[in-house]
Amino acid sequence: MEKFVQLVVDGLSTGSVYAALALAIVLVHSATGLINFAQGGMAVLAAYVAWVLTNQGVPLVLAIVASILFSFVLGAVIERFLMRRFERGDPDTAVVVTVGLLTLVTGIAGWLWGYNNQQFPSLFPLDTVSVLGVSVSIRSIGTTLVIVVAMVATQALFVGTKLGLALRAVAINPQSAAYSGLPVERLLMVGWGIAAVLGAVAGALVAPQLTLTPGMLDNALVYALAAVILGGLTSPVGVVIAAWLIGVLENLAAVYVGFIGFDLKVAVPFILIFVVLIVRPQGLFGRKTVVRV
Amino acid sequence: MNRHFGSRKAAGIAAVSALALTLTACGGGADSGRSGDAAEGAPSPGITDDSVTLGITTPLSGATAGPGTCTVAGVTAYFGMKNAEGGIEFGDGKTRTVEIEALDDTYDPQQAAANYDSLKGDVFAMTAGLGTPTNRAWREAAIADEVPQALIMTGDPIFSDTEESPWQLGFVPIYQNEGEAFGELLAGSSADHKVAILSQNDDFGEGYVEGFKSAVEGADNIEIVQELTYEATDTSVDAQITELANSGADVIFNAMSVTPLTISALQKAQQLNWKPNWFLPSNTSSPGAILQPGGAAAFPGVYSVSFAKAPASPAFAQDEDVQTYLSALKEYGNYPEPPAFPHCQWSWMVGATLEQAFMEMEEPTRDSFMEALRGIEGFEAPLMLPDTSVSTTEAGQPAVSTVVVQKYNGKGYDTVESFE
Amino acid sequence: MASSSKTSAPTTTAPPPSATPSPASSFRQSPWVRWGAPLLLVVGLAVLPLIGTESANDTLARIGVFAVAVLGLNVVMGYTGQVSLGQIFFLGLGAYVTAYGVQSGWNIVLVFVLTCLIPAVAGLLVALAAARLGGLAIAMVTIALPIVGVPLAKRLSEFTGGSQGMSARFVEAPEGSGLYDDQWQLYLVLVIGGIVFLLTYFLVRGKYGRAFAIVKGNENVASSMGISPYRYKVLAFTIASLIGGVSGFLYMVVVQYTSPETMSFGHSIELLVAMVIGGAGSIVGSILGGVFYVVVPDLTNAIDPSLTALLQGALLLAVLFVLPGGLVSLPRAVMRGLRRSPAGRGSAAPPTTPSSTTGSGTAAEPTETERQGSA
Repeated sequence: MEKFVQLVVDGLSTGSVYAALALAIVLVHSATGLINFAQGGMAVLAAYVAWVLTNQGVPLVLAIVASILFSFVLGAVIERFLMRRFERGDPDTAVVVTVGLLTLVTGIAGWLWGYNNQQFPSLFPLDTVSVLGVSVSIRSIGTTLVIVVAMVATQALFVGTKLGLALRAVAINPQSAAYSGLPVERLLMVGWGIAAVLGAVAGALVAPQLTLTPGMLDNALVYALAAVILGGLTSPVGVVIAAWLIGVLENLAAVYVGFIGFDLKVAVPFILIFVVLIVRPQGLFGRKTVVRV
Repeated sequence: MNRHFGSRKAAGIAAVSALALTLTACGGGADSGRSGDAAEGAPSPGITDDSVTLGITTPLSGATAGPGTCTVAGVTAYFGMKNAEGGIEFGDGKTRTVEIEALDDTYDPQQAAANYDSLKGDVFAMTAGLGTPTNRAWREAAIADEVPQALIMTGDPIFSDTEESPWQLGFVPIYQNEGEAFGELLAGSSADHKVAILSQNDDFGEGYVEGFKSAVEGADNIEIVQELTYEATDTSVDAQITELANSGADVIFNAMSVTPLTISALQKAQQLNWKPNWFLPSNTSSPGAILQPGGAAAFPGVYSVSFAKAPASPAFAQDEDVQTYLSALKEYGNYPEPPAFPHCQWSWMVGATLEQAFMEMEEPTRDSFMEALRGIEGFEAPLMLPDTSVSTTEAGQPAVSTVVVQKYNGKGYDTVESFE
Repeated sequence: MASSSKTSAPTTTAPPPSATPSPASSFRQSPWVRWGAPLLLVVGLAVLPLIGTESANDTLARIGVFAVAVLGLNVVMGYTGQVSLGQIFFLGLGAYVTAYGVQSGWNIVLVFVLTCLIPAVAGLLVALAAARLGGLAIAMVTIALPIVGVPLAKRLSEFTGGSQGMSARFVEAPEGSGLYDDQWQLYLVLVIGGIVFLLTYFLVRGKYGRAFAIVKGNENVASSMGISPYRYKVLAFTIASLIGGVSGFLYMVVVQYTSPETMSFGHSIELLVAMVIGGAGSIVGSILGGVFYVVVPDLTNAIDPSLTALLQGALLLAVLFVLPGGLVSLPRAVMRGLRRSPAGRGSAAPPTTPSSTTGSGTAAEPTETERQGSA
């Protein structure tokens, strides 16, 4: 039993890594209707910026704040000067452009900082607390808390603010949004900027555990995408819960389901997606979209 | 199907292509000499009277770019230094400089084979590339073309089998040797031990485990209580460590090649208050890049096997070999920071070993080179630890087959003779 | 996804539109051109392996391998509009079937047939389940194929050789042909790949191709026309898998080695990139995609091997920025540029969206005017 609970706690902590990236992906999707493969790469770039600053003696929190500002500008600039050309075109082309962006950003990080694994200081200590025989690190708790805060903030942004409503209107139909007087172009830049900010937070949270390398988030990307689809593309809360679910079920399946084991546990999120989407095509928490003929 | 465009035309095209094929099949015989046998003693491609060119295909981008970059940097630095001194005097009496042509294969076998194809006409020999599948992809082609695939960075035993791989030679110890060395140490312990195994799910992990098991087989003080694997693409091994911690093992044999996972495995075990003796392979045992951030001092003993001096270890900070190496790496290897991967050191040793072969080869041919390469015995390459050496004469073994077991002392490593 | 109105002008290989023939299309209608051009192409391809150097032949052969893989992806994605991120899995499966068959000493024709059948059946089974989902869900189910395929290949090491992979050198120029191995390999790729391209060409120009296009355009419309989107999605996916299997056979002809890395997720994404860069929904675009897939890594290696990722990313973005419709739209973009410049509005070309379908001439006409209207 103790092992079971420990595995669940471990899964939650791993799931938080996926959730961090998934939140940023969902935000861009909500604001632009696009899956951004480069979200992880941009987050890594932000983490490098923070890392360079801490190496210059800047306190960690300030360095992260600086990297967040950097990311906002970066996201907005990428939207304005790269993505805008593809936003009204073929969606497949736009996705491939984000793949190209991921390759480019990874290449730039490798060129500037090399491929060595760099130690990134953590906001939270690695000390452990023990509750009922289950141990969990302060770092995991802190990471999870920050993600919950980010999730609530994102959800509130979309549901409770004018900006959020405007962003969603732009994503659903840019043309009618423009007719109703919304500054579509500026909104798109802001949407990308906010998503990049979330990415920067994600990068700073997971870099201490994954160690900083240009490809740090490549392996997490697939899980994050799975969480995005499973949770429903429109729901920040759903996506975070889906990420945790994936982390936990993956661990439990590996340990308790003989034929899956640790080598095939990566299949778990996809089996889950398939089963869920057959029953609920809009994902666990997503809203139904109406297809017009 | 589009009728008016359909069958008649298809038939016509088929007939024409058949005709063309017949014609060309007849005409093809006129060509001559594609990778054909050169006259006896004539120089092989890639070597002139004053220079020789070596080729490398290795991952320089992607997930394995860290160690991959090192495999190029070390040997480039070594020959950069030698070239600056005027070059190397070969066995035929001529002094040559050594040039390196390295290509990125991103750990993709298809790209590695393509890189080999594009290099083979210009280079004298291929060397130093990292990876099992990326070296296997063109192994048979290299045999057919009689191109040396010398001193490569994989512990796959096939490259050290002279029968199967006449034009190949691995550099680093086969994985089995490393696992076996630790197994022997543990079997010689006076106490009883329960061992948990966590290994990478590929030939790397399997090789280590196989060697370890063969060494502890029959030792009645050793019991393997649990065995788990992980994938090199995993983002976490927390669940594995949690499960192994429950097994009550006092030793963990951890055949892992991924830097962040090794660090987090060490950290996770401490969080669970599980403090076994820990075994790590040679490529993930860097004191500065892995053990220190992983808090390895908390464990009663962290053991590894090695044959190269760790530059980050204080014991070697003043070592002359290490100083020469680090400054050459910076100056000629385009590698400004102290390396976090031992592959840089290994690649440097590959350079020194190649130099030995060059000094012995009497003709500027690939045949003569392979003969010289297979005749090196007891060569103490720079950066080598005492009691290890390069020997290429032993059948079935790579250039380096001896390793020493070392124990972490909080800063660097000490060689140990027995398990305490 | 508001892609219902996105049909566009036919590609250069399309049958000429019946209405308002332009000079170019009447040129294409001339019998000399209609018969001469393919003939010239075939003769050119037949002579090609004889004049190339060994490394040129090798590069061409690898282009052929990946052009076929991209073509398969185009059938399901470019023509039918279903996002598939799993195409590399079928290439890998085909390569493993070939390697296993060759190592077991089976007849090579049987091996080839199995290389077509096994991936096709695997694709059919996946499609029966996946085609029930739409949009991004299908992408996630297909993404799982390479991601689960890699550990699966390692687990089934009895058949796959585990992480050490499998070699199979079975293609040697026949005795007496006087050909070198690289020439013979290229011929095999040209003949097998050529047949696959030809069959696919007829497929997408014909009845099925039109049905694919309608499913891609709007599934509800398709249903109302009595075309079952589900059935045609399954069909397209199965054909794509079969073609993927053939490309796996060709992969073994050329590379002669396969391992779990062959089907890694990253390569699947690279195939998608190649498809879009070449030109989605285009036969010629598939070939250009194959060229991009193979030549760009070689090119970036030649420029600076330590900067390959940076250079590849920059190149990809540059190509799409200039040609959002892929390389296949280059002639059209140039023509438009020429037509525009006298009128003094040559600089700002509008973003084009040639997710070109096999739309007939009449369907293409309004789009052309639409685009001019929006410029």
